[in-house]
Amino acid sequence: MSVRSEQPVAGPAVPALRTILVAAWAVFVKDLRTELRTRYALNAMVLFAACTAVMVSIGTTFIGLRRSEEALLIQASLLWVALLFAAITGLSRGFVHEEETRTLAALRLAAPPAAVYLGKFLLNLALLAVLGLITSVLFIILVRVQVGSPLAFLLMIAAGSLCLAAATTILAAIIARASFKSALFAVLAFPLLVPPLIIAIQGTAVSLDNAGLDPVRGALQFLVAYSVATFVTSLMLFRFVWEA
Amino acid sequence: MHAVDIRLTVEGVAAGYGARTLFSAVALELRAGEALVVSGPNGSGKSTFLRLLAGLQRPEAGQISYATGGVAYTPREAAPLIGWVAPDLMLYRDLTARENLRFFAAVRGLRRDAAAIDALLDRVGLGGRGDDRLATYSSGMVQRLRYAYALLHRPAVLLLDEPTVTLDERGAGVVESVIAAQRRAGIVVIATNDPRELRHGDLVLQLDA
Amino acid sequence: MAERLGQIGKLLIGIWIAGIAIAMFLVIPQYEGLGNAGRIVIMHVPTAWVSVLAFAVSAVFSALYLWRGRPVYDHYALAAAESGFLFTALATVTGMIFSQVVWGIYWNWDPRQTSIFVLLLIYAALFALRSAIDQPARRRQLSAVYSLFAFVTVPFLIFVAPRIADSTLHPNCAFIQGSACDGVTLEVGKIGLLGDRKVQLLGLERQGDIITAAVKVSEPGLSSETILRPSYDLAAGDMVARPEFPGLRYQLGLEAVDLTANSALLNIEAPGTGLLENQRTLVTFLAAIIGFTALFVWLLTLRATLLDVQWALAQREGSRL
Repeated sequence: MSVRSEQPVAGPAVPALRTILVAAWAVFVKDLRTELRTRYALNAMVLFAACTAVMVSIGTTFIGLRRSEEALLIQASLLWVALLFAAITGLSRGFVHEEETRTLAALRLAAPPAAVYLGKFLLNLALLAVLGLITSVLFIILVRVQVGSPLAFLLMIAAGSLCLAAATTILAAIIARASFKSALFAVLAFPLLVPPLIIAIQGTAVSLDNAGLDPVRGALQFLVAYSVATFVTSLMLFRFVWEA
Repeated sequence: MHAVDIRLTVEGVAAGYGARTLFSAVALELRAGEALVVSGPNGSGKSTFLRLLAGLQRPEAGQISYATGGVAYTPREAAPLIGWVAPDLMLYRDLTARENLRFFAAVRGLRRDAAAIDALLDRVGLGGRGDDRLATYSSGMVQRLRYAYALLHRPAVLLLDEPTVTLDERGAGVVESVIAAQRRAGIVVIATNDPRELRHGDLVLQLDA
Repeated sequence: MAERLGQIGKLLIGIWIAGIAIAMFLVIPQYEGLGNAGRIVIMHVPTAWVSVLAFAVSAVFSALYLWRGRPVYDHYALAAAESGFLFTALATVTGMIFSQVVWGIYWNWDPRQTSIFVLLLIYAALFALRSAIDQPARRRQLSAVYSLFAFVTVPFLIFVAPRIADSTLHPNCAFIQGSACDGVTLEVGKIGLLGDRKVQLLGLERQGDIITAAVKVSEPGLSSETILRPSYDLAAGDMVARPEFPGLRYQLGLEAVDLTANSALLNIEAPGTGLLENQRTLVTFLAAIIGFTALFVWLLTLRATLLDVQWALAQREGSRL
């Protein structure tokens, strides 16, 4: 049995920003590793999105939708419906898994709250990046979505996903402590996501048209503003969720 | 080796679940080098008392504080000073023991190289099994890893809830030495009904059902 | 003493609201063009105002709870949310009735309808969350966090809402006195929008001093088209004929004519002279806003006190709330 070589630190200090970022990255890597080994969230999300894309494809391919303004809006709406519901099946996973395997206590004792929030937020962003990519490709192939301005389209999907991650990560932490978790997650998330979803659908519809980046600039600004507001609020409020 | 400057103060603490009050008006003070044994029948609130000390739960009444260097901290603030071992401490099943320890070192802002983690695993008797996932561990091995988790940051206060549960003789030996080392360096609180472990305590807190 | 004051206050609110209810039907004149349906506005606007106020009050008490951790703040936050939900439902229902009578549809995703719908969903989510957490302290803390978090996202709705649809059922310029519609200036053959109606100026005809415009009006979604003929008196400098939009109680006015440019200024107008111009109506309306706000404050304190008492009793008996 070795004798301890290091004495305990003099006193607990407020963790510096660097420490928090390092800890956040550790949480992210830990969750990503667990996710890659179990693929619990990603499988469910991607399967959900794939099923939706296939259903939409089966339902709409034969009607030969003319490429009108309305058709673009319908395609954009369907794409975001698929993304939203797939996201809701998977984004609460990070916190709910900790609660179900009862590892929250170990994490609470060891990690600063801000680091936990940031780590889970990064994980949700990564999940959404994969989900957005796969869903978009499926819609382009199966639903014959033609992307007129690829850069604008990509930015709209990215900004919309950013909003989803920023708004739902703290809600995942809240519902992890409650019963009827998955149903409650959708109930809590939906009303808050109405504004960014409306903008994301309209912006995505515009980006399907061949008009370049300018027409979606306003939508992108709105989505980024929404993300920043919800992200900062989450960061401030997360401590209370974590201590509850 | 000298004992660190740490003091634990419990004043008028009460806890309960809804209608049932587990205990009330518990008051005590511990200094570095002292050990407290909490005993009492099942359901008397031993584990809850340790959870209060760890800051995992808030007391219904009263105050718990840790003082070091002349500054008092709440249990939550004192988390870097506290190591907690309990049957309801769960670690990540889908990660290996080494990954678990590396993760907890990183989130605590500690630098622990591979050698340090190996040494810790050896100390709790898990040398050679560090790269296996916890899902493949027996309950006794998980209990050993809980000690590695709790000792990782060299805490001044060690809270042990049923320290030898599911452990074999050699595991119990590891616990003996951990308790002995901690008593030289800081505070130990043990919740147990095992008569062999009762003798560790300088103080005994008897909780009634 | 405080109890006596409370009793008097309660009585006053009751009389006040009863007075408003009577005034709604007896004192204010029937609003020309809208008929008796117009009277519901006296209920509708104050309840809508209180639902927003209640949401803000709930958020403030949630913040206080997180800051201070005293259960009484949570009781106020919950009481505000509960009475806010009630008023939101009232505002929605009165609005739908009015909408059906005046515009012929109950629901249209009008910006304010969207906002109040989301507000209803947020309240519902808050209650669902509360019912899903057993531990009182945790329930308080988490619902306070959700309430505040939701409060931060609501302002974004205000930016979004006008973008949802071109149309608004809610009367803005055409209805509320003092804010005038700008209308559209169209050359002959050109198309413009008035409210949610597409209008096309087909031609201008002159007969003496009277100019008559032929205007093609299309329903939203182009479901039907009508030709309306508003006219303008050049000598008097005033509108003459103001035909009603089909299916609406609003009128199409020809406000100005430029014969050299062959263009005309068309505008949508409410019939009559504006709801609030009438002194008695204005007084009743303000009294209703004060009355409903007072009613809300009374409900808030009553419910919060009740929750306080319940909590105190539960603590004494040691039973879980």
